[in-house]
Amino acid sequence: MTDFNRRDALKVGAGAAAAAGIAGSAEAQQAAPTIRITPERGAQLRVLRWRRFVEGDERAWVANTQKFTQNTGIQVRLDNESWEDIRPKAAVAANVGRGPDIIFGWYDDPHQYPDKLVEVTDLANYLGRKYGGWYPVAQRYGINNNKWMSLPLGCAGNAMVYRIGAVREAGFEQFPRDFPGFLRLCQALKRNNKGVGFALGNAVGDGNGFAHWLVWSHGAKMVDDQGNVVINSPQTIAALEYAKQLYETFIPGTLSWGDINNNRAFLAGELALTANGISVYYSAKTSTDAAQRAIADDLNHANLPIGPAGRATEINLATQAMIFKYTRYPNAAKEYLRFMWEQEQINAWVEASIGYVTPALQAFERHPIWTSDPKVTPYRDSYKNMLWSGYSGPMGYASAASMADYIMVNMVAEAASGARTPQQAAERAAERANRYYRL
Amino acid sequence: MASIPAIPYQSSWRSRLVENKNFLGAVFMIPAAGILLVFLAWPLLRGIWLGFTNATLGREGRFIGLGNFISLAQDSVFWLSVFNTFFYTVIASVAKFALGLWLALLLNHNMPFKAQIRAFILLPYIVPTVLSALAWLWMYDAQFSVISWLLTQLGLIDRYIDFLGDAWNARLSLIVANVWRGIPFIAITLLAGLQTISPSLYEAAALDGATASQRFWHVTMPLLMPIIAIVMTFSVLFTFTDFQLIYSMTKGGPVNATHLMATLSFQRAIPGGQMGEGAAISTAMIPFLLAAVLFTYFGMHRRKWQQGARDD
Amino acid sequence: MTDASNSAIPTRATGDSTGMDFLTSLPRRVVTVYIPLAIFIFVLLFPFYWMTISAFKPNAEMSSNRNANPFWIVSPTLENINHLLFNTDFPAWFWNTMLISTAATFVSLFASVLAAYAIARIRFKGADQVGGIIFLAYLVPPSILFIPLASIVYELELYDTSWALILTYPTFLIPFCTWLLIGYFKAIPYELEECAVVDGASRLQILVKIVLPLAVPGLISAGIFAFTLSWNEFIYALTFISSNEEKTIPVGVLTALIEGDVYNWGALMAGALLGSLPVAIVYSFFVDYYVSSLTGAVKE
Repeated sequence: MTDFNRRDALKVGAGAAAAAGIAGSAEAQQAAPTIRITPERGAQLRVLRWRRFVEGDERAWVANTQKFTQNTGIQVRLDNESWEDIRPKAAVAANVGRGPDIIFGWYDDPHQYPDKLVEVTDLANYLGRKYGGWYPVAQRYGINNNKWMSLPLGCAGNAMVYRIGAVREAGFEQFPRDFPGFLRLCQALKRNNKGVGFALGNAVGDGNGFAHWLVWSHGAKMVDDQGNVVINSPQTIAALEYAKQLYETFIPGTLSWGDINNNRAFLAGELALTANGISVYYSAKTSTDAAQRAIADDLNHANLPIGPAGRATEINLATQAMIFKYTRYPNAAKEYLRFMWEQEQINAWVEASIGYVTPALQAFERHPIWTSDPKVTPYRDSYKNMLWSGYSGPMGYASAASMADYIMVNMVAEAASGARTPQQAAERAAERANRYYRL
Repeated sequence: MASIPAIPYQSSWRSRLVENKNFLGAVFMIPAAGILLVFLAWPLLRGIWLGFTNATLGREGRFIGLGNFISLAQDSVFWLSVFNTFFYTVIASVAKFALGLWLALLLNHNMPFKAQIRAFILLPYIVPTVLSALAWLWMYDAQFSVISWLLTQLGLIDRYIDFLGDAWNARLSLIVANVWRGIPFIAITLLAGLQTISPSLYEAAALDGATASQRFWHVTMPLLMPIIAIVMTFSVLFTFTDFQLIYSMTKGGPVNATHLMATLSFQRAIPGGQMGEGAAISTAMIPFLLAAVLFTYFGMHRRKWQQGARDD
Repeated sequence: MTDASNSAIPTRATGDSTGMDFLTSLPRRVVTVYIPLAIFIFVLLFPFYWMTISAFKPNAEMSSNRNANPFWIVSPTLENINHLLFNTDFPAWFWNTMLISTAATFVSLFASVLAAYAIARIRFKGADQVGGIIFLAYLVPPSILFIPLASIVYELELYDTSWALILTYPTFLIPFCTWLLIGYFKAIPYELEECAVVDGASRLQILVKIVLPLAVPGLISAGIFAFTLSWNEFIYALTFISSNEEKTIPVGVLTALIEGDVYNWGALMAGALLGSLPVAIVYSFFVDYYVSSLTGAVKE
């Protein structure tokens, strides 16, 4: 669908990257780049966004939107849908050519129907220059066929969530950064009867997060740069062997875990280590219950350990704003996005959502939220640390289909639980992925 | 419907037209036919057509003949979903029928608070499925299952049951939730059927020396057959096309063990973007569905015809 | 399961309500009727009990079943219900669901009555085939229909209005309603109609004045069935409605109460409870009627 490759990313991102190199603070850059977007007369917008992850997110977003309406007179209707239901909604909109003007989609959504979207290259370049450049992976998500077809907002990061006491008791002062250390930690926690668990069920967020990280971290990947399926590789087998050892330390039931299970288990004190967004910490910290706040005090985060691949290999829930071509007010929509992406608004919003979503623009790394509470700091790097869906191939419907079919998650789950040998699981995954990639 | 036209004098061709059965029938069919054609037949044709194209989300696609079906035939996940669908439908329908009939027979007794009990029994049927599915999801939780808790307290098990994490446990757990939801409708409807059976038939049978089991098999069952046929046909249909329960509870996991054709079709078409393939899976359901329904319907109706002499 | 039911059924069958209960002794009845019935009621109502108790549980007690009895609440709270009623659009969803379900039920009944009458009583040419085709309409799984249907809903400018649901729900309601009503209509003696025809009544008059009053029980059964299915529908409501205040209960409750990977269990269960109680109350009035009314269909 797209013949986009890394060279293109560099080409488009070159200006942004150069700006990033010299950028001091975002504030200092304010004067330089400009963009003029003239909204259509009498414009009205309908915006569909995922249902908030944390309460502050929605409050700040609505407040920013009201500010936009005050400034421009453009009425904006904000609708919500629970985050997993956004995809069907966006799919219907793309297919029937009617619906909300702007939809905040996930992962490869904009690459499935790029010709239904309004190009936003000028806006993306402007924002990139102004705010320290887009992360390279943001360019992957935003750019299709050399053109920005969606505007990356950020990602809901995934990090190790652990109980400080339990990890110390297991003999680790610091959370391990490497794979042998991580396995030893899990084994020690298991010996001490402290729960370890990562979602292996068909969970859109957590299941994909764990499986992709584990496989990629061993240098394995679903497809190569050209989109040839290369999952059946020695690296994959190594990853699956590791997953097997790891699985032995898990508490029962992880094969059925969806996105919600680890949150609840952790907050009930049944888990001492899992991977999740910041929501566990957020609910514990804001709870009225003293026992929950005690958990928050004993809780900390760490970035996912770095494996044999020698680099961070997370996959986080990336969200992009898409303006659909059927909109009658493309300029008003662009102006709305520009306004919402400017630091005055983003800062307030990041603040209110206590870092649940890590912005895709590099300048926002310096936002005080990331350092005001050291427990939040790992999430600062979520966008930087991630690879894109369908790494390292092109994004498009094959990558979306493979992920939607949980090929990676199923492979890890099968091998980890011993339902198949790592070799069989990898063969099976290759066979399934080939159905999509060879088309 | 509110205003009834008086029929004064009418010209002869008009009165003949109004008397004409075919014309009248057609007029009376208009509302139902209109709705079904516009909102069902037309999208259905479009859906079936999609199954023969390589359409993806946002792209029209072109005709590829049986391409999707050939590719599906080689896809073991698809065949697993076919197996799951049949397993789910057969086991759940049989269980719903057996338990529903039993419950109907129990409810057919004289007892205090009869009306209240009947109303209570219907509760599972009333709660919106997505929400009752969440209640089940929670009761099946690997860590917090109240069922596991109870069994542990009673000393029957020593570790929590992995309801949804093991392939067979997950299938059976979903079937239990489906049966739970389906029993009330079947029981209440069969109860209605039971009440039409005249007590005098039983008395006559008893006088003839029929045993209880003979009375059941030779009086109750034959007379119930017509309503059993209706109820089971619809039950099979609903079970076969079930979507909400699976989607809210397992999303087809663990490792596709609980994917039904309906959920797989959705997963491939929407999150996966492969509209053509998703539509092909749905289209593939139609013959199975037709077979299942014809089997239930005619299977039971034939029984009814055989017993026809005794009917009414 | 089957064994148990088979062994139990024979005695049960003799125990018809007006029949021969007196023949069975009380202890026997306890074992064969009351105990199984109690188990049934327990199992059928347990999830409901679970929802109720969760709706009143404070969040802290929600997942603490290692050290507390999950079947009971230590300090019940109205917070969840309060949250649902005053912090979400629940009242609006409730109103929408009520309106849509009622309207869809009436549309379906209207279309079904006419269709069933035409098929069962007018006996036009090809009536049986049409009846079969209507039945086949049931075979279409909504899980795939919704995409092509969405295009049609858009083309007719119905998107994001209650009409989108009022007009699409009948697609899965009409077949069953028509089917049920055909059974009722067939049971009405032809002589009644013939007399009316002799008196010069039109078909419509016959339908409204003679047939419908006799089929009221059937209308109620079909109505209850249609209402419940509309009340529970999920996919179409999710796809065709996007404004928050236009949503129905199942969709609205899910959207509002699931925040990312945190389920607001108490409020979700409160939503399930409040979303089904009104229907339950209606049912408790109608259930006996419903049971006795369905008998008409059996005589088909």
